[in-house]
Amino acid sequence: MNYTKQIQDIAAKLFTEGKIDVFVGYRMNGFDDNQVPVLITDPQDVSKLVFTDKSVFNLVNYLKTDHTRRKRVGLVVKGCDSRSLNLMLTESQVKRENLYVVGICCEGIVDDSGHKMQNCVECVVPDAVVSDELLGTPSGQKPYMVNVDIAALAAKPLTERTAYFEEVFENCIRCNACRHSCPLCYCAKCCIDQETATLYNGANTTSAAFHALMTWSLHLAGRCVDCRNCEKACPSHLPLHLLHKQNESVIYENFQEHLAGVIPEDRGAFYKYSLKDPDDFIM
Amino acid sequence: MSVETFVTDKAGLITFYEAIMASHETYAPVEKFGKFDFKQVKSLAECDPESPIAKTQSIKPLFFPRSAKVMKYVATSTGTEVSEVDEDPLAVKRVILGAKHCDARALQVLDKVYNWDYIDTDYQKRRENTVIISTRCDKADTHCFCTSLDYDVENLNAMDVLVVHGSDGKVYIKARTEKGSTLLNTEVTRHASRVTEEAAAPDLKKQYEAFAGSFRLKMDYSEVNSKLSKIFDTPEFENVSGNCVSCNTCAFVCPTCHCFKISDEKIKDTGLRYKSYDSCNNGYFTLMAGGHNPRPAKYRRWRQRAMHKFVYYKERFGENLCVGCGKCTIACPVNISIFEVVNQVAVGSRQ
Repeated sequence: MNYTKQIQDIAAKLFTEGKIDVFVGYRMNGFDDNQVPVLITDPQDVSKLVFTDKSVFNLVNYLKTDHTRRKRVGLVVKGCDSRSLNLMLTESQVKRENLYVVGICCEGIVDDSGHKMQNCVECVVPDAVVSDELLGTPSGQKPYMVNVDIAALAAKPLTERTAYFEEVFENCIRCNACRHSCPLCYCAKCCIDQETATLYNGANTTSAAFHALMTWSLHLAGRCVDCRNCEKACPSHLPLHLLHKQNESVIYENFQEHLAGVIPEDRGAFYKYSLKDPDDFIM
Repeated sequence: MSVETFVTDKAGLITFYEAIMASHETYAPVEKFGKFDFKQVKSLAECDPESPIAKTQSIKPLFFPRSAKVMKYVATSTGTEVSEVDEDPLAVKRVILGAKHCDARALQVLDKVYNWDYIDTDYQKRRENTVIISTRCDKADTHCFCTSLDYDVENLNAMDVLVVHGSDGKVYIKARTEKGSTLLNTEVTRHASRVTEEAAAPDLKKQYEAFAGSFRLKMDYSEVNSKLSKIFDTPEFENVSGNCVSCNTCAFVCPTCHCFKISDEKIKDTGLRYKSYDSCNNGYFTLMAGGHNPRPAKYRRWRQRAMHKFVYYKERFGENLCVGCGKCTIACPVNISIFEVVNQVAVGSRQ
């Protein structure tokens, strides 16, 4: 998977035609084969752009920063990224007319060890669902798979699972990098930043970490697209995807096989009412 | 102070570590989820004093905890009663194993600010009661640049005991302070033999030269300090901060960052006040009562972080607020390298 040339050409064309102010893509980090996101404002810099199977970060996150706000933005999105973009559009966080989206039919991202990332192996929607231009050959929607780690955890007894998650919350250092790197955490004032809140006080205690992470995970229930930006940001390497994938599988089972952000204008499992919704848990 | 040097082998080092663990409260890198953090340990099996630098958190939380209890209070019908927190975690003498040189150096840098305007007695007490044993790295990691900064890595005296892996499996254990000397005289003499400094010097030098030669990143920071101070208004800060996602994790893993926030945990009429880490990259960090924010834009917060590290702290205390450990770059989700950014802004060499 290498779309470097195509993306460079598209970006150069967009700048020449004056369609965009900034192009968000990837560049090489300059010393090994890993890449970093880059925001290009100078048309001369388009030659820096690359796209390979190492282009890992979800760039939709940049739509909420100072550098892109109220600007016309060109953007590269993979399948999972495009789903989060779809949600940003549905939730009125960005205007479609301000964006030029280069969609990728993604074949999976490779991690440092040379293996395909687990979320790419289990990916349901590899092709970009929002795009002005689609690169690659669409391979269509894949069957849904329950995450391997969730399946492995579900097989363990409750005490073991509790001990495992206690360890996760103990090792959280409360830097909130997971939240900041999540494209769908765009609230101007997050509830876990309230100075006077009892549950989420800024302290680095296991209980505060538990409440902050669980609230975060519930706010992303039915919205998380499994791009794993949060895990890349976590300085303690916590398995944060477990919090989201569990919600995802429950929602998939109970809410008519709902998957976040796949259908444009779909408001998501928790935001719409359907007669088919299960009500056996309501008295 | 007489400098004492001992020589032993790998097995001797292990028995030395075990002897310390048996007689002292010991902290060492413990692996959890692929990342090492300093925790209290009882045996060498739980920890790895030789943990890889790229995967190890700093020792700062042992001196400036991620969350420290400041006070507690109770609201009564007659008013509010404020009292000290009960626990005193600082009373016990403790030993840290496997601290990296950069982490030990960071404490020297932090000492300046903690002994300045207000003397932080908790920090002082933790410093006095701790003996730091630091192993010199054999090889620099991808993002390390300690030798580029303004301190002498070879003759660093920030740790109390220095451990160096010399040639032919020899291990040198060297006291760097009185505290270290006392510890060595009680613990090491049974497992190692004393050597003169002259006898050990060539091997130590050789090890250091191999280490110093393994750096990918090299720059003259004295030039950076003077250049940065003149370019506060350069638009380059806006360019370099472009791909920052303001996640703040750089400040949380940094061994020298020392900004904090105060928050309360309230349960009915009682409360507990915490002092916890914060970051100047946080949008609300400079937000004032009334809503004014002097640093509303991301690049301004970014500039503050870079300028504080390499200009303001240098002007006030004569040292960089950076030890070149590369932890921020490793933790950064988009791999922004402070080395690369400072290089780009101050020296103008772009990737």
